[in-house]
Amino acid sequence: MNIPILSLVTFLPLAAAVLFVFIPRKMTSLLKVLALSFALLAFILSLLLFFNFDDAAAGPQFVEQTAWLGYGIQYHLGIDGISLFLILLTTFLMPLALLSSWSAVKDNVKEYLIFMLLLETGILGVFAALNLFLFYVFWEVMLIPMYFLIGIWGGKRRVYATMKFVLFTMLGSLLMLVAIFFLHSIYFKAAGVYSLNIFDLHKMILNPQIQMWLFAAFALAFAIKVPMFPFHTWLPDAHVQAPTAGSVILAAVLLKMGAYGFLRFALPLFPDAAQKFLPWLGILALIGIIYGGLMALIQKDIKSLVAYSSVSHMGLIMLAIFALNFEALEGAIYQMLNHGLSTGALFLCVGILYERSHTRLIKDYGGVSRQMPVFAALFMICMLSSVGLPGLNGFVGEILCLFGIFQSNHLLAILAVSTIILAAAYLLWMYQRVMHGPITNEKIRSFAPIRKRELAYLLPIVVMMFWMGIFPQTFLRKMDTSVTNLLDQIQRKQSVFAEHDIRKTEILDIIPEKSIEPDSLSEQEVGHE
Amino acid sequence: MNDIMALLPLSIPLAGALATMLLEVFLKRRDKSYLAYLSVVFLLANILVSLRFWGKDYTYFSGILHWDDPSLVFSMLLNLATVFVVLISMRYIGQQDANHGEFYSLLLFALTGALIMVSTADLLVVFLGLEVLSISSYALAGMKRNDDRSSEAAVKYFLLGSFASAFLVYGIALLYGAFRTTGLLEILQGFQSASGSLWMALLGLGFVLIGFGFKIALVPFHMWTPDVYQGAPTPVTAFFSVVPKAVGFAVLLRLFRPDWPGLLDSPITAAILWGLAILTMVGGNLLALRQSDVKRILAYSSIAHAGYLLVAILARDAASLMFYLIVYLFMNVGAFSAIIVMSRSGHEYTELDDYAGIGFRYPWLGACFAVFLFSLAGFPPTGGFLAKFYVFAAGVREGLIPLVVIAVLASLISVYYYLRIIVVMYMRPASPNLVIDLENSALYLVLFLCLYGVLRMGLFPGNILLFIKQAALAFTML
Repeated sequence: MNIPILSLVTFLPLAAAVLFVFIPRKMTSLLKVLALSFALLAFILSLLLFFNFDDAAAGPQFVEQTAWLGYGIQYHLGIDGISLFLILLTTFLMPLALLSSWSAVKDNVKEYLIFMLLLETGILGVFAALNLFLFYVFWEVMLIPMYFLIGIWGGKRRVYATMKFVLFTMLGSLLMLVAIFFLHSIYFKAAGVYSLNIFDLHKMILNPQIQMWLFAAFALAFAIKVPMFPFHTWLPDAHVQAPTAGSVILAAVLLKMGAYGFLRFALPLFPDAAQKFLPWLGILALIGIIYGGLMALIQKDIKSLVAYSSVSHMGLIMLAIFALNFEALEGAIYQMLNHGLSTGALFLCVGILYERSHTRLIKDYGGVSRQMPVFAALFMICMLSSVGLPGLNGFVGEILCLFGIFQSNHLLAILAVSTIILAAAYLLWMYQRVMHGPITNEKIRSFAPIRKRELAYLLPIVVMMFWMGIFPQTFLRKMDTSVTNLLDQIQRKQSVFAEHDIRKTEILDIIPEKSIEPDSLSEQEVGHE
Repeated sequence: MNDIMALLPLSIPLAGALATMLLEVFLKRRDKSYLAYLSVVFLLANILVSLRFWGKDYTYFSGILHWDDPSLVFSMLLNLATVFVVLISMRYIGQQDANHGEFYSLLLFALTGALIMVSTADLLVVFLGLEVLSISSYALAGMKRNDDRSSEAAVKYFLLGSFASAFLVYGIALLYGAFRTTGLLEILQGFQSASGSLWMALLGLGFVLIGFGFKIALVPFHMWTPDVYQGAPTPVTAFFSVVPKAVGFAVLLRLFRPDWPGLLDSPITAAILWGLAILTMVGGNLLALRQSDVKRILAYSSIAHAGYLLVAILARDAASLMFYLIVYLFMNVGAFSAIIVMSRSGHEYTELDDYAGIGFRYPWLGACFAVFLFSLAGFPPTGGFLAKFYVFAAGVREGLIPLVVIAVLASLISVYYYLRIIVVMYMRPASPNLVIDLENSALYLVLFLCLYGVLRMGLFPGNILLFIKQAALAFTML
């Protein structure tokens, strides 16, 4: 493949943002149309990734690799069945998020669009990067636009929320950076060359004592991002204060970066430590499920209700990831996509209501469905998708997750089912109070029915919800090989470890390359020291 | 190669200093900008000379003056910093009622002192250079003659600086007493062979460290920094934040040579440096949290950066130290230039609240300042991130993991106060009487160059990195 599609998809939004710098800020409609078309173009290009993706290939695909800074730091992109869908989710939601802010954002439209586009590049880079350094760069870069989006276009307590968001995330990622340094230096000691290529690092068998520390550093960074209980406190603030489009991207995609980090880095790099930590992490995930659900029940603000529902849903995804079996992992990845769609859609629905009444409190609503019947139907579908109604996407993911969790631990699975019950309770109750009942607030009588633009960004999501609910095989098929590989890798490293019992050196062994595609092996640079 | 040419990089700025001083007296022109252009020509010529010297190892005065590759890197860095400072002060000096001729010649004198320090292999000559640098600096700090703060800064800097110099001389004397030499290499050999009185030598080394601790503002010798940085004219502050620091680390690099097994391996010196680094990183960043004056925030931030640089010394990595200093030059001068853009006739706007709403009122200025602040905080894809990355990675490679963990946590603290400035710039409404001078092309040139430097160093530092690595070979163990 000669055309670097993956780079094109990743950097197209950045190119658009650079172009925007030179367009006068007064031409807001031109800017909006351009931003939307660039985002759509990125989506179309990413569809090429989907259609050209080879289901059976084991290694990463669409690989691009060039030297960059030396010392094992390369520009190295590539996707497998896990990151493919997260990239698609991002490019799919971005145009919709831009559409949703068409009239909601009135001030400084130019800067707003620039930051949204930069954010997209940052997120796509995180999912596409195969070099740990590159991954870290994108991981941090993405913070800056999000910081501005919440801080400038957010609600009343936006500055507090955005600072908290940045500082929390950075706390985790800086400690992860130290762990990356450590991996970098021990790889050099063991192999004699520098590399931060994740496939090279995957081959290392580390001393379990050291794995514990490294796993802790990586896991903290990812757990904050997911967020897992008790690191979730930034999330409700950030969600509630962010502008609608910001919340959509935050909930739908940003949170997935944490889960993706566990799948891609923390678990396969440090399988022995992971094995020791997993029960505890599982308990935290379970607490997250129940705590998030209970908190969602008592929220007065619709947005923070959806935010806490994210904590609960992400808890289930994490629990499934920690179960480490085929069904659970596929379910987790599928559920990541579902959660992206359904929570994104719920935030969009809240945004539609907020644009009309400028309040997010549940008690200010009631009887909206009489004024907006079409919207009521769409809102209901989104809500039911989040609850996990059979026929919609959420059901498939949750069932797979719960099957997988049940295989590894019956008790956890039984307790985890509470996520469905709780979700049904808080979402249906919220829906009933907002959409049904008598109209108490006079403002609601003047609510305009749903606009075409609003339909344009809700309908694609709803269609996807049905599609993913009825034909899950379209998507699951492409994940199979990658998930099998991932599990295989984790287990193989554990079994190799069992043959060793020396605990003195940092690195016990580097697995000889088996079963890894020749094209994924980098020509490593020789260390310069 | 022993050659009188070796004097060239020192005599060019000296000639420039004398020329600007004399020309100002005899050419009574109203428009003084020609002095600035003249200085820039001299400085650029000097950078060119440094480039021509590359790899030639010129020495003179029986080896006391030695232009090896690392000192040439430092020389170029110092010259470039001075070019930037000259350019950003062109309009500023007139606005703030300071005297042109003296200003440029003092700057060039200070630079000469700094160049003496980076190119010598003898501690006594280091002291000589330091005095040339310091005395010019004291005068520069007080350039705003009618401003109390500026005079206070000058006096404070002078008093504490003299103290520091006294410590340094005393330290050199003790080292001489122990080893009968003031040559840097001979002193290191002395430590290695433990030929003289080791306790006297260690005491001397401690005093030398205290002297330099003052100059490069390490905690607990940092007390003068915020006041001097705040009171001095802003371009001079930019100069102070880069030049003495770079020079100080150049000397420390020769004292704690990465390729020399002696000093860094001794538990006493290592412990002292660890302590200083931790205090400086944590202290500098914590103290910056409560400040409301942008110049003071940057003063404390420069203290914290000295702490990160100390990590590079401890990590025995000359290349990452030099890279950090180059990036630091761009981001710090850039940040101070953004402050100068805000200044107007007779007044400087340095309170945080003065910056409210700049981000949208003047998007280019806001964006530049924000990029510099992000770089100082160490966000990718700016040079500040890569600089920290190399230093901390070197630290971990050397096994200084606890130190690096403290360093990253300290830089997390710093994120808070850098972002505070950005919060004010972007997330507060602009005050209606916010007007800036848009016709200061020299200043905008510097802003642009610094922006380019910061981004270039963060994304494609390729050639510069090679250059630095080649220079660092001088410090590599064979």
